[in-house]
Amino acid sequence: MTTTLPYHRVNVLTGTKAARIIEDAGEYAHLIKRARRPLLVLGARTLTMSLDGRLLIEYAADIASAIGIPICATAHTKKKLLELGVEPASSYDITEIVNHLKDPEWRGVKKEGNHDLVMFLGFRTDFGEQALSTLKHYAQHLKTMTLCKYYYPHASYSLPNLKDEKWKEFLDNLITNLKEKEA
Amino acid sequence: MAVVEKKKHTRRDEVNEIIRADDLWEPVGHTPMAEIPDLRNWDMRLMKQYKPLYAPMCDLCCFCTYGKCDLTGDKRGACGIDISAQQARVVLLACCMGMSAHGGHGRHVLHYLIEKYGRDYPINLGDQVAVEAPHIRTVLGLKPETLGDLEKALEYVESQLIHLISSLHTGQEGSALDYESKALHASMLDHVGMEVCDIAEIVGFNFPTSVADTPLVDMGWGAIDKTKPTILLVGHNPVTAVPIVDYINEHGLQDKIEVGGICCTALEVTRYSERAKIVGPLSRQLYFVKTGFADVIVTDEQCIRTDMPQQAAAVGSALIATTDKASYGLEDMTKREADEIVKDMVKGKQTLIFDPEKAAEVAVKVALELAPKRKKELVTPEQVPELAKDHRLCNMCSQVCPNLLPVGDAVEAAKNGNLEPLAEVFSKCIGCGKCEQECPRHVPIFKMMQAVAGSETWKVRAGRGPVMDTEIRKVGAPLVLGTIPGIIAIVGCSNFPEEINEVADIAEEFAKRKYIVVLTGCSAMTAGMKKDKEGKTLYEKYPPDFDAGGVVNIGSCVANAHITGAAMKVANIFATLPLRGNYEVIADYILNRVGACGLAWGAMSQKAASIGTGCNRLGIPVVLGPHSSKYRRQYVSRKEEDDWTVMDGRERKLVDTEEPSPEHLAYVVESKERAIVTMAKLCIRKNDTPQGRQIKLTHYIALHKQYLGTLPDDLHIYVRKTSDIPIFFKKEVMAYLEKVGWKEKPVLSLPTLVGTYPSEVPLDAVVH
Ligand code: SF4
Ligand code: SF4
Ligand code: SF4
Repeated sequence: MTTTLPYHRVNVLTGTKAARIIEDAGEYAHLIKRARRPLLVLGARTLTMSLDGRLLIEYAADIASAIGIPICATAHTKKKLLELGVEPASSYDITEIVNHLKDPEWRGVKKEGNHDLVMFLGFRTDFGEQALSTLKHYAQHLKTMTLCKYYYPHASYSLPNLKDEKWKEFLDNLITNLKEKEA
Repeated sequence: MAVVEKKKHTRRDEVNEIIRADDLWEPVGHTPMAEIPDLRNWDMRLMKQYKPLYAPMCDLCCFCTYGKCDLTGDKRGACGIDISAQQARVVLLACCMGMSAHGGHGRHVLHYLIEKYGRDYPINLGDQVAVEAPHIRTVLGLKPETLGDLEKALEYVESQLIHLISSLHTGQEGSALDYESKALHASMLDHVGMEVCDIAEIVGFNFPTSVADTPLVDMGWGAIDKTKPTILLVGHNPVTAVPIVDYINEHGLQDKIEVGGICCTALEVTRYSERAKIVGPLSRQLYFVKTGFADVIVTDEQCIRTDMPQQAAAVGSALIATTDKASYGLEDMTKREADEIVKDMVKGKQTLIFDPEKAAEVAVKVALELAPKRKKELVTPEQVPELAKDHRLCNMCSQVCPNLLPVGDAVEAAKNGNLEPLAEVFSKCIGCGKCEQECPRHVPIFKMMQAVAGSETWKVRAGRGPVMDTEIRKVGAPLVLGTIPGIIAIVGCSNFPEEINEVADIAEEFAKRKYIVVLTGCSAMTAGMKKDKEGKTLYEKYPPDFDAGGVVNIGSCVANAHITGAAMKVANIFATLPLRGNYEVIADYILNRVGACGLAWGAMSQKAASIGTGCNRLGIPVVLGPHSSKYRRQYVSRKEEDDWTVMDGRERKLVDTEEPSPEHLAYVVESKERAIVTMAKLCIRKNDTPQGRQIKLTHYIALHKQYLGTLPDDLHIYVRKTSDIPIFFKKEVMAYLEKVGWKEKPVLSLPTLVGTYPSEVPLDAVVH
């Protein structure tokens, strides 16, 4: 178990099972490519957080389109996503998508089967951490991964707490890595 | 020896006695004075549709000395409990706390009033309110006529509480669903307790009733004249606040002294005196206390700072605690002479006074003595950089902020003369004080915020108590048919996720669309904290009537019972269903036919948990802000996968409606925009007429397009026949329906869950 603390102390883990921290964009990309049915879930903060003058949701669009990952646009992210020319596969809100993901028999947003890797980006950390808690306890058939600059203990894979430059570097590298063919 | 025949006195006999069953104002239904098992089948039916969804806050349990136990995933504790049951157990605990807080408050008020006026003091809520206590009538089966009857209701609530709390003990309940059923029970009783409390206050303190246009009162710390001696009331219980106002009036001090309140005591005292001021909601408590503007702080109960003695001492405000719920370790001075206490307090002693009249006299006298000796000044923008001189951008403050605000960056900007980020932080701040406490360099963050807080004042309509029967008569039919699209109830604390103004935005979005908007507690105040271009607040702009397009401040937290009560009155007054001991029938009616939806955007307390859960048992869905994910449980459905079969009461046959209306019962969302869209959807009911459905869908579609950019993805689910399609969007919707292969669905004239689960309630009971 790691002793890393989440950036926002309200998310301190009271438990024994914590995320594996990964800093290497290549490793993240590998995990994503290895997944059979990944899903990218976007929260409201993708509309307000920006890096280098680009909104987080624009990075999200790049990540998704790099290898065709379906998007679940929660909160009111759908509108902006459409403006960016990206059609989300689902606009379930976070509670709905989590509730569905819990069910191993669910057919997924593309009706091809439930997802095996669920990536989260742009939620307020306390709310995101609660959604991840549900999946940690009740959806052991799938893995969760966070792409935010904060450490999320309840995820399966999380970034450490990162400064903005490092985070941007990570996201850029991730997009490049995703576009590359796996050996 | 003669055999003495012992007459059996059953529980039912006892109940009949308490509720005066022989008094035939209505037939007694199936569950008078319901106990834990009585409504369990109803709960299980609700939870079959709206399954609990858990988000554990802690993976461990530390309730007993077997623990800590790790409950992660499939693991069980040493007692055998699993993570779901443990979450539900915590939910029940929260609901019991919430219900006890209201009940305890009600007890205190009743005790005070009964001592003053006696048990036979009559209940009279004015000529517009004949159905005075829908909860007490429905849950107990009693039509309360006196304060003594209210006491009976409270005794019943208290007797249930002991069973509920006992089930929390180690080695009791093992099922999450059963814990949930008990939480629903506790929360139903919470609404009874709240009703007792608010009715007692109305009749005992002459609060407004049977009236809509209550006075507009001043709000904001700028409304307090700091040149005058100032008494600050903090909490929820007006038992001491009312005598303070009386003392001031009796001694002709109205123009010489300021009385302001924070949180619900503010709402209560402004129901008593228009001259009293609302300083602000809970999130402004610590700010105002730290300004030192209050010469005397009087605390009562609930949501008061537990470090009030330290905070008051730090700024030289005197402190009087007045209840057994929050005594702060202070010396009990109740039996001492008022003037002696005043002498001690002027020297700096903080006191505990249980006698409200004595506390009132002391508060006023101390305020008059202390005020001339105290300096009251706010920090100016020019002083801010100097205050921030020791700051080093370590961001410790940002890391502990429970609202995740970038406090450190804001302090950094302020140090360099740019106050804008600090003003933004202030607008989202919940006022906890964690940031300042954590700062290793002791930067006085709260003081700095004084420079950006402004001293704007606003108007709030004083809380008006129960919705009038005449109003129900007028809106009953349009509500049930759907032509008034819904009741939007905005309630709860000020633990808002974003700008405080979001509440006013949400309220206005629905008011202008002609929903009925009702508000209570901190949310009611907050809705008044925004002005339009002409400088008007919502309360000045929209009518105060419980009618389409009205914006109604019902009152404090305990007045929430009048909101749920209004839905019950629709069933009773409009649909003529008897309330008496008839909980299932009334809840079933509301669930299927009254388009009401709650919003607890900033819910913080355990009281908010029980208020919301009480709405849920009664069939009213509640949307919650993101902090509420920390309550650990939501009640949600899966619209496409679940079975939406109900009984058609008139045809007496089961019908698969395929329609998830309402879709969820307790539902957390992240953004204001999504909350608005979701609430519009959660007002849809199976009973809507085509015309009503068209109106509801018009709003749902318009709001969805506005905030999410497209027609709703689930629109086809809510169109039963082409006659449901809003004319305004007809072409677009028809094209969409064709694309998704929509088929007609049945329309029911009398949808009900009765007949779909084991219950003693016969189908005839819901046909009216
Ligand atoms: S109550 Fe049960 S789970 Fe909790 S500490 Fe005791 S044994 Fe462990
Ligand atoms: S007082 Fe406000 S800014 Fe400071 S930690 Fe609390 S919520 Fe955050
Ligand atoms: S904790 Fe204090 S020093 Fe650190 S960033 Fe916040 S205000 Fe500055």
